[in-house]
Amino acid sequence: MRNLFAFFFRYHVFFVFILLEITAIGMLIQTHHYQYSRFASSSNSWSGQILEQFNNVTDYFSLKKINRLLAEENALIRNRNLQLPALEENIYKNQHQYISAKIIKNSYNKRNNYLTINKGSMHGIENGMGVITEDGVVGIIRDVSPNYATVMSLLNKNTIISTRFIKSNHFGELIWDGKSHQFAQLNSVEKYVPVNVGDSLVTNSFSNIFPEGITLGTVNRFERDENKNFYTSIEVALSVDFSNLNYIYVLKDKLKDERMKLESKNE
Amino acid sequence: MNEILQHTIRFFILAGIQILVLNNVQISGYINPFVYILFIMLLPPKMPKAIVLILAFIMGFTIDVFSDSYGIHSSATVLLAFLRPKVLALVSVKGGEDLEAIGIKQLRINRFFTYSGILCLIHHFTLFYLEAFRLNEFFDTFLRALYSSVISISMMILIESLFSNQKSR
Repeated sequence: MRNLFAFFFRYHVFFVFILLEITAIGMLIQTHHYQYSRFASSSNSWSGQILEQFNNVTDYFSLKKINRLLAEENALIRNRNLQLPALEENIYKNQHQYISAKIIKNSYNKRNNYLTINKGSMHGIENGMGVITEDGVVGIIRDVSPNYATVMSLLNKNTIISTRFIKSNHFGELIWDGKSHQFAQLNSVEKYVPVNVGDSLVTNSFSNIFPEGITLGTVNRFERDENKNFYTSIEVALSVDFSNLNYIYVLKDKLKDERMKLESKNE
Repeated sequence: MNEILQHTIRFFILAGIQILVLNNVQISGYINPFVYILFIMLLPPKMPKAIVLILAFIMGFTIDVFSDSYGIHSSATVLLAFLRPKVLALVSVKGGEDLEAIGIKQLRINRFFTYSGILCLIHHFTLFYLEAFRLNEFFDTFLRALYSSVISISMMILIESLFSNQKSR
């Protein structure tokens, strides 16, 4: 027994090292399960508060620009309201509720980017909701605390968004290769699909995260190999400028539970 | 007591610089400098190694929480702390046991450069490969880690030389 203690004591540094590494790697592996909320995230109430305080200070420098953007958006919405026929005021138009929130931590230069917003479960935000701006898709809600939430950005290796071409209705999967915050890559597009530079991509209705028809971007460049069934690469210029985000909307789908209940019957 | 206070203050300053400033700055493309590891590098060589490991974990975990990176900083910083005595042995005569503290003043600029350079490269390569978590982006990740290391090392040497000047006055 004493030998055992002596052994542990002699190599205690190594054991501490192994223990800490296992803890750290354990946290990392846990990130691959989307459903579980994680303890160590910036949506934590204390880290959220520190980030928000700092953001309050830096905010003053961008007030002018935010004002201009809000005014432009107001004008756009007013125009759209004028064009809406009264008949379209049905349940589908009201299916999604928009919750506006402010970004208190932005990040776009890492391989896996997460944003932090200043609203949480108290405001009705839940894991898995879609996040957009007036320009297009930003990401998906990941962790939620009472007052804060983190958003898994489109600029993250774990984010896959299912899309369609506006023109041809063909399906594709949007992922990010980690290089530039302006471009993402489109996968699983079959070779017979006609693709042109400038074609617009929007979200499709397959997933229950985003409503159908939210802008993602336009085709910037593509490569085709006759020997393969799929396009070798399609580069998409993202419509959202991730280096310049201030306010976002979280989409709350009122019919999500109903849809999920129905779909789970098939499994 | 004075020394503990000095290291505590350094912990908060470096973590603050990292979280509030460097995490928000984008330097040409995808370079992310990480200077908070200077805290571990400058801990006294006589400090028990297990304590250094635990401090490294606390520092890494703090950065992880604020940058939503879940364990990659903790893991890379603990590895850095574990290899620190071995790198210190490379640049000093008695494995660093004779040194009261680590800094440009004690090691001179060229040996301090080697010491911080090796540790920084180890940390950054671990960090960026854990972040990518797959090998099909091997070359991109390699460049990313290399460029970021160059910027980090320059920043750390700049910070350390500013501090050590103040002390000698």
